[in-house]
Amino acid sequence: MNGKREILRTKALHKSFGKEEVLKGIDSAFFEGETVAIIGASGGGKSTFLRCLNLLETPEAGEIYFEGEPLMCAKADKASSRSAKEMLRTLFLARETTAKNTGAVRTARQRIGMVFQHFNVFPHLSVIDNITLSPVLEKNIPKAEAEKKAEELLERVGLLEKKNEYPTRLSGGQKQRLAIVRALAMEPDVMLFDEPTSALDPEMVKEVLDVIRDLARSGMTTLIVTHEIGFAREVADRVLFIADGLIYEEGTPEEIFDRPQKEKTRQFLSKVL
Amino acid sequence: MLEDIGKLWARYGPLYMEGLWGTLWMSLLTVLVATVIGTAVALIRNARFRPTRFLMKCYIEVVRGTPILLQLYFFWLFLPKIMPFEVSDTVSIVTALIFNSGAYVAEVVRAGIQAVDHGQTEAGLSLGLGRWHLFSRIIYPQALKNILPALGNEFIMMIKETSLASVFFVSELTTSYKTVQSVTFKSIPSLTIAGVIYFAMTFLLTRLLGILERRMKSNERKA
Ligand SMILES: Nc1ncnc2c1ncn2[C@@H]1O[C@H](COP(=O)(O)OP(=O)(O)OP(=O)(O)O)[C@@H](O)[C@H]1O
Ligand SMILES: [Mg+2]
Repeated sequence: MNGKREILRTKALHKSFGKEEVLKGIDSAFFEGETVAIIGASGGGKSTFLRCLNLLETPEAGEIYFEGEPLMCAKADKASSRSAKEMLRTLFLARETTAKNTGAVRTARQRIGMVFQHFNVFPHLSVIDNITLSPVLEKNIPKAEAEKKAEELLERVGLLEKKNEYPTRLSGGQKQRLAIVRALAMEPDVMLFDEPTSALDPEMVKEVLDVIRDLARSGMTTLIVTHEIGFAREVADRVLFIADGLIYEEGTPEEIFDRPQKEKTRQFLSKVL
Repeated sequence: MLEDIGKLWARYGPLYMEGLWGTLWMSLLTVLVATVIGTAVALIRNARFRPTRFLMKCYIEVVRGTPILLQLYFFWLFLPKIMPFEVSDTVSIVTALIFNSGAYVAEVVRAGIQAVDHGQTEAGLSLGLGRWHLFSRIIYPQALKNILPALGNEFIMMIKETSLASVFFVSELTTSYKTVQSVTFKSIPSLTIAGVIYFAMTFLLTRLLGILERRMKSNERKA
């Protein structure tokens, strides 16, 4: 992967919930076009790690770089501005959402797509409005143009005839495909998937994995937390095994799945394979 | 008795209608303004800045922990004193009602916002939505579905609670009853008329709200 453009990098990322230290200094780097599968035991911090990458969680310490630019340096961030606008924000805006939504973070998030386990599609918006909302509002793309783009994306995942439906009328698999194209409509440089098929009925897993596979093969930089070992082996260029709050072992799918070096990795794999 | 009611209605119908008008506009104005205030209070209550959060909590606790009649007296006594211009009883009473209702609406709005799945916020953030767009396009429209029925109930509550304004002879339905009673001394018939009007109003409104709510739900499923 060397020589490829760096998309995301973390240095000594720490994250705790109360007393529980979930991430204990994660160093990682992700490069343009690669597909990385992240595996590990339940509660091991895979989701937390992924969510730190677009600052849905705010790490206590460490650094995150998006395309070479610092997205977060825990030390420097402390001294936030005390402008009138910032005061108004702290006065009115919800505690949860104040978890960093400054201009720089927002711009980065627009280029980091994320797909959640529970889809999180917007139930009050039609399929097409789900997709065009953010491009129109945040990237000032004309509505007609955004809709044309959205239709192309819907076509690509076989949902075009649903464009005027509301999400309540979609199956789980369809909702997840919608969530994927909603993220793609922002033309991100990297896509983060957090167990995108775990909440799906078994018969719908394939349709979603097919979309993700196509995406990965088309050259999209893809990070995917998954329990689908077969899928990880098939699409991933690299596998990260997270345990004890660290990247415990990493390598190609063959290295990790066929010749794991560490005892813990072997134990985990013997349970899931 | 029925004859008495008929006679009273023939004679004092317009007076009751005037009272009904007072009740309706006071209730409606109260709920509308309280909705704006309640939304602001709810936002501050959920926000990061502690002192104002605490202040809003105090406001809500005070309103919930004291009788509404006492609140009316308080505003009725103090508002004219502290204001540089003349304040009519009606203005004092409506202000007090808004003060009261705002606290209840704040709790309703807060609950409505909190009932929106947190995943919606996360999805909005992950798409790079700004805070205002996140709130106005994602959270609030969904919260509104939880809030609107409760606002309807607040309106119905207010129709009943404005009757306390009769203590201060502010023009509304219960005041009309008191006037008619004091002129005719026909207590029970005059009271019955007011009661029937109140009941008809709240009954109709409750049904109407039920229909609206059902339509909203079925729209969601159909849509
Ligand atoms: N918002 C939160 N508040 C408190 N604790 C949390 C929060 N989010 C995660 N945790 C804790 O952090 C730990 C790691 O959680 P995380 O969701 O990152 O694990 P995971 O590897 O994704 O697990 P799974 O495979 O079950 O999704 C868990 O012990 C969890 O209870
Ligand atoms: Mg997880």
